[in-house]
Amino acid sequence: MAINILIVDDSGVMRSMIIKTLRMTEVPLGDIHQAANGREGLDVLGEEWVDLVIVDINMPVMNGEEMIDRMQEDPEMKGIPVIVVSTEGSKARIERLEHKGAVFIHKPFTAEVVRDTINSILGLGENDES
Amino acid sequence: MRAKLEETMAQVTIDTLEKLAFMFAFPGEEGDDPPRDSTVSGSVSFAGPFSGTLVMTISVEVLQELAGNMLGLDDDEETTQDHRSDALTETMNIICGNLLPAIAGDDVVFNIGVPKVLPADQEIKEGAGIPDELEPSARVNLDFDEGQCVFFLFIGKEIIRDVVMP
Repeated sequence: MAINILIVDDSGVMRSMIIKTLRMTEVPLGDIHQAANGREGLDVLGEEWVDLVIVDINMPVMNGEEMIDRMQEDPEMKGIPVIVVSTEGSKARIERLEHKGAVFIHKPFTAEVVRDTINSILGLGENDES
Repeated sequence: MRAKLEETMAQVTIDTLEKLAFMFAFPGEEGDDPPRDSTVSGSVSFAGPFSGTLVMTISVEVLQELAGNMLGLDDDEETTQDHRSDALTETMNIICGNLLPAIAGDDVVFNIGVPKVLPADQEIKEGAGIPDELEPSARVNLDFDEGQCVFFLFIGKEIIRDVVMP
């Protein structure tokens, strides 16, 4: 099963880094969509089939936490797994995001952490290539 | 206090650049400020239990390598101005986000502003909105094969007014 992923980050360089890292993980990739803020991300989710959202927190226009809140309010989007990739260092803020169902990855990240997190959140086994 | 702050800042900056862009830096000697005509500077302000601004000044050649490594480009591929500016601001964002909990712990909350590239024709403090009389609380010089990178941490409550939240 190929995984369609939406990457939401206001830095184009960081989006490229995440894509480069995803290609190193051996996760079966389908379409990779990109958005520069939460508003654009919601627009993509309204138009495309997405299996996983990878989102930054601090972004202009609409930040990642508000995007997650909007996704939870939408029956079509609330079941989509979300990974937050951020520099956030506050324990309280990280726990608040985790209570909303998101899994947190700290920047800078390694390919191994990204792979393991995706495998865990999507329930993919090491030998699962179906 | 200053020595401890600089030790923490050196650890965070070296570790972040290594993990982020596979760039290996060594602590350098504190000397004169790097020349403006061969460097690029950026700043990011923050507000929380204490407020301030982190300034990063980086050699053009080191910034080219930083952007290229973050993008995964080959050595003969050139980065664009947009790539370099984006790489600088994202790197500052990540370093600031890792530095503040390293200094103050993870039980406190900081709001980090939008990092910006400073105009080359403006004094760094003026461009970053730092009061002229404020001196850096910490300074870290890093040496690379291709050049240098210098970090200045300014701490002062008056800077809080200039923090631009996302």
